[in-house]
Amino acid sequence: MRLEVKGLIKVFPAPVFSGGRPVRALAGADLEAGPGVTGLGGANGSGKTTLFRTLAGVLEPDGGTITLDGLPASSEKLRALAALCPANPRTFYFRLTAAENLRFFGALAGLAPAEAAARAVRLADRLGLAAADLERRFDRLSEGNMQKVSLIRAFSRRAPLLLLDEPFRGLDGLACRGLLDLTAETGTSATVIITTHNRELLYSAAPKTLRIENGRIEPGGPR
Amino acid sequence: MSTLRIIAAFVRRDFLAEKSYRLAFALGALATVANLAVFYFIGKLFGGAMAPHLQPYGGSYFAYVFTAMAFFGYIGTGAGSYAGRLRLEQTQGTLEATLSTPLGTLPFLAALTAWNFLFATFELLIYALAGIFVFKLNFAGANWPAAAAVFALSAACFAALGILSSCFVVLFKRGNPLAWVLNNFEGLLGGVYFPVTVLPGWLLAVSGLLPVTYAVRAFQLAVQRGAGFGEIKTDLAALFLFNIILIPASVWLFSLSVRRARRNGTLGEY
Repeated sequence: MRLEVKGLIKVFPAPVFSGGRPVRALAGADLEAGPGVTGLGGANGSGKTTLFRTLAGVLEPDGGTITLDGLPASSEKLRALAALCPANPRTFYFRLTAAENLRFFGALAGLAPAEAAARAVRLADRLGLAAADLERRFDRLSEGNMQKVSLIRAFSRRAPLLLLDEPFRGLDGLACRGLLDLTAETGTSATVIITTHNRELLYSAAPKTLRIENGRIEPGGPR
Repeated sequence: MSTLRIIAAFVRRDFLAEKSYRLAFALGALATVANLAVFYFIGKLFGGAMAPHLQPYGGSYFAYVFTAMAFFGYIGTGAGSYAGRLRLEQTQGTLEATLSTPLGTLPFLAALTAWNFLFATFELLIYALAGIFVFKLNFAGANWPAAAAVFALSAACFAALGILSSCFVVLFKRGNPLAWVLNNFEGLLGGVYFPVTVLPGWLLAVSGLLPVTYAVRAFQLAVQRGAGFGEIKTDLAALFLFNIILIPASVWLFSLSVRRARRNGTLGEY
């Protein structure tokens, strides 16, 4: 799937009566990416997460266009076609086990319970998450294992557009290796965009890298 | 994506989460019984003192308040649980994740409070069993088809009010004027704890603007006195009218609120 982004603008308005100013998080970002892995570097607050959330259809853009295979993509369409692994893994139900969480989010993405469970087991193995941890309540998992569950949720959708925001956060070396392999495999059929502050991992994951600065995307890797 | 599968997923999720808080579950059930006992003794204390106002319903005060509480407890689920569930999703950080999926507005709204309605049905059953076997109430004369019609119309109407109320949660997070009205005035003005004829004229006029007034009155008449469709047709028509306006308006406004939150980037905030 070919993704084309032109002049993407996202402005967060200041809360009413706060006296604050609107934040221009994306200031005309342009991006082209096809099947394969594209890396995106950038400093804190440069607009990486806002770009990902907009491409995942979580946010509605204020300007610019997003097309998928040449066709305009609304936020609704993006939510159907893109899977996002957010930078913060604490977006699960804490009182439920990891497996139950994955079953629930799988259902929202159209996966039958058995299929969601089978994919979870396969991906857990690739990322080094023990079967016992899949059956553990989410709030009793370590940060790294929470991150693995978050990655499993994103990968298990098998979406044509996969957005990985700081996916290596909290992962041990073995899991990082597993994630690099998984990302490369997924990139053979899907468009994967990945961001991390770790330059070494970014260059290992993505043959093509870009940089985002002040809400605009430029060629080249992170500084 | 089947809506039924989505509803099943939400129900399973909420059941598992609720089950994990065992003490709260038991205390909730106990509170229901304690509440009933309060009105049972109030009924014994005042005996026939409210008889003129209760005459149209043909029962005792306890029978009146029991029926109204059981009914209102169920239909009130729709009014209160949408905002509550949504707020919970916001504070635990799962709302944005849930709404980042292909899930549409209608399936989301249908599924969000499915567990609450299921649990309310269970509570209603407990109420009915307690009414018959513990408090020896007699429902033999009830017109159940008419009561079921009132029930369905009322539940839909209150669910629409609940969806409207949840729009405030999506947009403002805290501070929900509609929930405030629903929580504080429905019981007072809707005839849940006493017939609205007790109210002074000006309050009676206000109660006529609330769907709960028509819902409780029609349900009481159908259950207590066995009133048929002909006798409660005005109340049914009023509820039908509320539904025609409130259901599409609430779904549309909810979609609009979520869209605005996506635009402002506040969907994941709490």
